[in-house]
Amino acid sequence: MQYAPTLNRAELIELATKSYFANVDAKNMEATLDCFHDEALFCVQTAFTRHAGKAEIRRMFADFFGSWESIVHKDFVCTVDEKNGRITASFEAVLTAADGSVTRFFNTNFWRIRDGKFQEVYVYFSGANVLV
Amino acid sequence: MIEWSEGGTAQAAMPYPYYIDIVTKRYFDGVDNKAMSQVLDCFTEDAILTEVTSNTVHNGKAAIGAMFTKLFTDFSSIWHGNFVHTADPESNAVCSQFTVLITPNGGGELRYENCNRFYLKGDKFHRVYVYMSGDNLLKEGDA
Repeated sequence: MQYAPTLNRAELIELATKSYFANVDAKNMEATLDCFHDEALFCVQTAFTRHAGKAEIRRMFADFFGSWESIVHKDFVCTVDEKNGRITASFEAVLTAADGSVTRFFNTNFWRIRDGKFQEVYVYFSGANVLV
Repeated sequence: MIEWSEGGTAQAAMPYPYYIDIVTKRYFDGVDNKAMSQVLDCFTEDAILTEVTSNTVHNGKAAIGAMFTKLFTDFSSIWHGNFVHTADPESNAVCSQFTVLITPNGGGELRYENCNRFYLKGDKFHRVYVYMSGDNLLKEGDA
């Protein structure tokens, strides 16, 4: 195993879809960042972009939250590797700009969990990266 | 009878190593060695492979085979490695991250950091989604 598993299947799904994405959609910065370790890595693989550490991840989310009027992640299909502390989810992201225009992605995230929080997050975009 | 769905939980689980082995020891080993029958044996007859980042859809084993014929012809060497898997017997699915080193005929080596999501029906791939960190290499096969 890469990191000792501490969460069961239901807890991994709860962390990824509720503790994380529900708070991203609500633009709750502190609750979103609570999902990450201080030295976590957040990588957008389809754009070769890496945010290392909570300060860089906070800056990225600040820009992301400020760029869109509304953010919705939905229709999750979760794949769970409980024994190895890993979870993957495909989902639709619906981002609405201030002028009402809508951008949609069909993305996949991979999370590697250590001690109940994200140690590594890998995002694969269906289009241009918006997590810069 | 419950209809099949991607990641649906009402499916018979294979042993955990099966998911790792079909991805690495059968599928990508076949791709890297241009072993067409070994590759196609991993798919159901009506499998669909989608390259998500360009929304390219290969519908059915014949179309998937045509796509691989073109890939094997257009590239002199193909290597997949550095795998990290999320294998889930309960939903009969496995998602894999990996590095691709691939060299077009007469060109220089390209490096990709890709992922695939594999949803199985029984013991074979039924839906496959590919995300690429660069231009799509899994193009429609030549007629």
